[in-house]
Amino acid sequence: MVELGHFALVLAFALSLVQSTIPIVGSQKNDARLMAVAGPVAVAVFTLIAASFLVLTWAYVVSDFSVRNVFENSHSMKPTLYKITGTWGNHEGSMLLWVLILSLFSALVAAFGRNLPATLKTNALAVQGWVASAFLLFILATSNPFTRLVPAPFEGQDLNPILQDIGLAIHPPLLYLGYVGFSVSFSFAVAALIEGRIDAAWARWVRPWTLAAWIFLTGGIAMGSYWAYYELGWGGFWFWDPVENASFMPWLAGTALLHSALVMEKRSALKIWTVLLAIMTFSLSLLGTFLVRSGVLTSVHAFATDPARGVFILVILSLFVGGSFALFAFRAPSLTAGGVFQPISREGSLVLNNLFLTTATATVLIGTLYPLLVEAVSGDKISVGAPFFNLTFGPLMIPLLALVPFGPLLAWKRGDLYAAAQRLAWALGGAILATLVVMIFVDRTMLFAALGIGLAVWLFLGAITDIALRSGFGNTSFSNMRRRFFGLPRSAHGAALAHLGLGVALLGIVATTAFQSEHIVALKPGETTDIAGRNLRFERLVPHQGPNYTEDQAVFTLISGNREIGSVSSAKRLYTARRMPTTEAGILTRGFSQLYVALGDPTPDGGIVVRIWWKPMVTMIWLGPLLMMIGGILSISDRRLRIGAPARRKAVLAPQPAE
Amino acid sequence: MLFWIVAALLTFGACVSVLLPFMRHTPAAAPDSAFDLMIYKDQLAEVERDHARGLIGRAEAEQARNEIARRILKADQTKDEIAGRTGAAGRWLAMIAVLSVPLVSWGVYAATGSPDQPSQPLEARKQQNPADSPVNDLIARAEAHLQANPRDGNGWEVLAPIYLRIGRANDSVTAYRNAIEYLGSTPQRESGLGEAYVNVADGMISPDAKAAFTRALAAEPKDGKARFYLALGDAQEDRLEEAKAAWRAMQADLPDNSSWKGAATAALAQAGEMQTEQAASTQPNPSAADIDNASSMTAEDRTAMIEGMVASLDAKLKDNPNDQQGWERLIRSYTVLGKPDEARDALERGTAALGNTTREAAALQAFAATVGISEASKQ
Repeated sequence: MVELGHFALVLAFALSLVQSTIPIVGSQKNDARLMAVAGPVAVAVFTLIAASFLVLTWAYVVSDFSVRNVFENSHSMKPTLYKITGTWGNHEGSMLLWVLILSLFSALVAAFGRNLPATLKTNALAVQGWVASAFLLFILATSNPFTRLVPAPFEGQDLNPILQDIGLAIHPPLLYLGYVGFSVSFSFAVAALIEGRIDAAWARWVRPWTLAAWIFLTGGIAMGSYWAYYELGWGGFWFWDPVENASFMPWLAGTALLHSALVMEKRSALKIWTVLLAIMTFSLSLLGTFLVRSGVLTSVHAFATDPARGVFILVILSLFVGGSFALFAFRAPSLTAGGVFQPISREGSLVLNNLFLTTATATVLIGTLYPLLVEAVSGDKISVGAPFFNLTFGPLMIPLLALVPFGPLLAWKRGDLYAAAQRLAWALGGAILATLVVMIFVDRTMLFAALGIGLAVWLFLGAITDIALRSGFGNTSFSNMRRRFFGLPRSAHGAALAHLGLGVALLGIVATTAFQSEHIVALKPGETTDIAGRNLRFERLVPHQGPNYTEDQAVFTLISGNREIGSVSSAKRLYTARRMPTTEAGILTRGFSQLYVALGDPTPDGGIVVRIWWKPMVTMIWLGPLLMMIGGILSISDRRLRIGAPARRKAVLAPQPAE
Repeated sequence: MLFWIVAALLTFGACVSVLLPFMRHTPAAAPDSAFDLMIYKDQLAEVERDHARGLIGRAEAEQARNEIARRILKADQTKDEIAGRTGAAGRWLAMIAVLSVPLVSWGVYAATGSPDQPSQPLEARKQQNPADSPVNDLIARAEAHLQANPRDGNGWEVLAPIYLRIGRANDSVTAYRNAIEYLGSTPQRESGLGEAYVNVADGMISPDAKAAFTRALAAEPKDGKARFYLALGDAQEDRLEEAKAAWRAMQADLPDNSSWKGAATAALAQAGEMQTEQAASTQPNPSAADIDNASSMTAEDRTAMIEGMVASLDAKLKDNPNDQQGWERLIRSYTVLGKPDEARDALERGTAALGNTTREAAALQAFAATVGISEASKQ
């Protein structure tokens, strides 16, 4: 069984080589049969990798310690859910998940790309095949999850306790669906460059795939942030950790790509730039994979450090990034550039959006790579943290966010900035009002926080203005408006919702960062402390035995006024197999705000050190991305993205009069 | 066998996926420009919809229509459709591609896979009859049990002599000490602990061993194992007369069926031989005199002497190969001397001499594995 999984993986590699070569020869020779090989082979590769992945999962579930990977990362006493998620909670398994998702996207393109031009689809599948072959070779040569261990030990070494969490079930698959999903835009870009034919239609073909990857990546990053927030016990939600940055850079570039593809589709402009962005986005995904998997960085994500693996991924990275950029440089001069356009227009605003987003990406890239370069050159270990990013990334985001509401209100070709400003007047009024309310009623000393909240309010009022105006607000009767509201294209709702989500997330970030209160105190059972105008009583400390850990659980009661409004328990765990302690934070949600309790060390007099935070509006940080995802899903369900394939009859090919 | 059948079926399926377009009628594909036209027509329809809904004004709609019309005109409609037939070169290429699938996959798998290894789900292994399990599995199961219940003295007591038998003397010491800690001291456990120490020290009666035997004797003055080893300790410290006295006492008061009585008789005979021949190098363990010599020698001399002793042991085993403990000593000596190849050679010869499938040969291999020598690690 295990060996069949191994064999299926090897077979997938052999088929990927076919997928990389035959179809592209076919498209060069204009041979429909050779080209048609790409589809069934891509589906077969996916089926084989999926089978291989299932076998590995099965080995984890039944604790087959004759598989080295299972022995090193599992334990027979682990709950079944964590046995399953443990499959990708390690280097080898996560690389297998990576290629599984890559092949999934290839199979989806093969199965649902019936409306794609044959040459584009074939070449894109071949490029997917190159990436798959490279990574399958990497897995088989340096990170084989099916290596056997004889004689088989009777117990495994357990999974890193921090990873024994429901978060591992959601975060990596979502993140990979995003990361790897951008491979499709990349493959389409390279395919178009190979063919030398890029037109407005290309943007439309790529759009649903980019959007899908973007939705998953948004979810993956948000989920990772929430996981770090509740699991690591530091109470923070974003650390500008290089690994976080590695996932954030493709997101920034991918967001830019989504917007520039709009211009390309509507106005036949920004063609070269959009293709470059598609290449850059996936290159950043590959860079992220390299940073995380090579062991260059030390973090909870770096499961194993093996120089051979690092070098191998570096070779793959340079091959694909270098190769695609070289192809781009070779082809770009022969591509026709789009027409010029007015700076004050929808496309002008989207260019501005791209400028800010790519500059921000570059900033994050510098902040992430600089410490590595310094270490490589001088051997000094420096760390570039929040202060750098707050001073560079922050100032770039403020003007971008301030300009977001204008974009959707400007018309294509020739926009009227004055009219747009007039329509946004009430949103501006709302934002100023919110700023003043915060200044006067919450805290008079925090001008920047108040302005930040004003900016957030500006963003979501701006999004509402956009939808209201499109529904004909102020021009027509209410019933008519309702009809128009539901008749709007779903992508319009999607865009507004995503921009609204941006405002919600910003509100959460500003409110939590500026107005959270933190309290560190030693408590004995029965004692009470106060936090943000409420009382917290430490009830008792109970020992508890989990399946593969022991823990001391502290139970607290939150009291507001004289009323008990909730109970929360926080724990310190010791995972027995690895003798590794973890802190399980206790979280109590009240409205959008949360009480966060983490246990510290016991004091000599029988008490325990407790860190308590009150985090106002903190859940909005993750609700915002959720809204963005829903916006993305609405957009992707827009019927405009589903164009039928042309019938294969000569009649269709007759010149069409412009209707 | 099942593995090979399924693997062959998978390979066949993979080849079919490559051949699929050649096995059925593949229609000619429309040129790419036809697909682009669909998009442009859809864009036109969208402009009409937006205009009808009043989302864009008349002038704007007109402009957009013109722009899309230009795109339609520009779309290259002269290109022919893509042929659904394949020339000879293409067919050859497809053939090579199909053949490459089994060649590459079976080739790579031959290098990376281990087709003979069955899956070993933990539950199935636990339900296996213990009698059918290799001794290492049994030990591993006991270890897993003790990891979960480290205070189970009975478990440690069972494991301790097994460790000693397969040559894991250090683990045996730990197991005996845990058994004594959780179940209390008895003469049997103390003398077992002493024996484990003796094995750790390669046959020398170390102070730890002596203390353990003394504790055993204090509780049970007639304990044969403790008396024998204490006497051996005397002999090693050049108090041969005392040692012989103790062995003689054992001959006198131990029951006939005690194995220690036999051991004492053998030791007495050897001690007599030793006194007459003064030939230290034929002894099973180096005498105190050898050790004294060794500590006053130069490093080269010492190595030479040790190598000489090892060589004589090797020679003895050639004459009398049916001696499992002798082979163990030889393997350990070669390992200590930093000669893994000779150690492996000794393992092979020992296994062959003891008979490949016997329990003694298995025990010898298990012992060799504990010092990091195995036949497989040869390459």
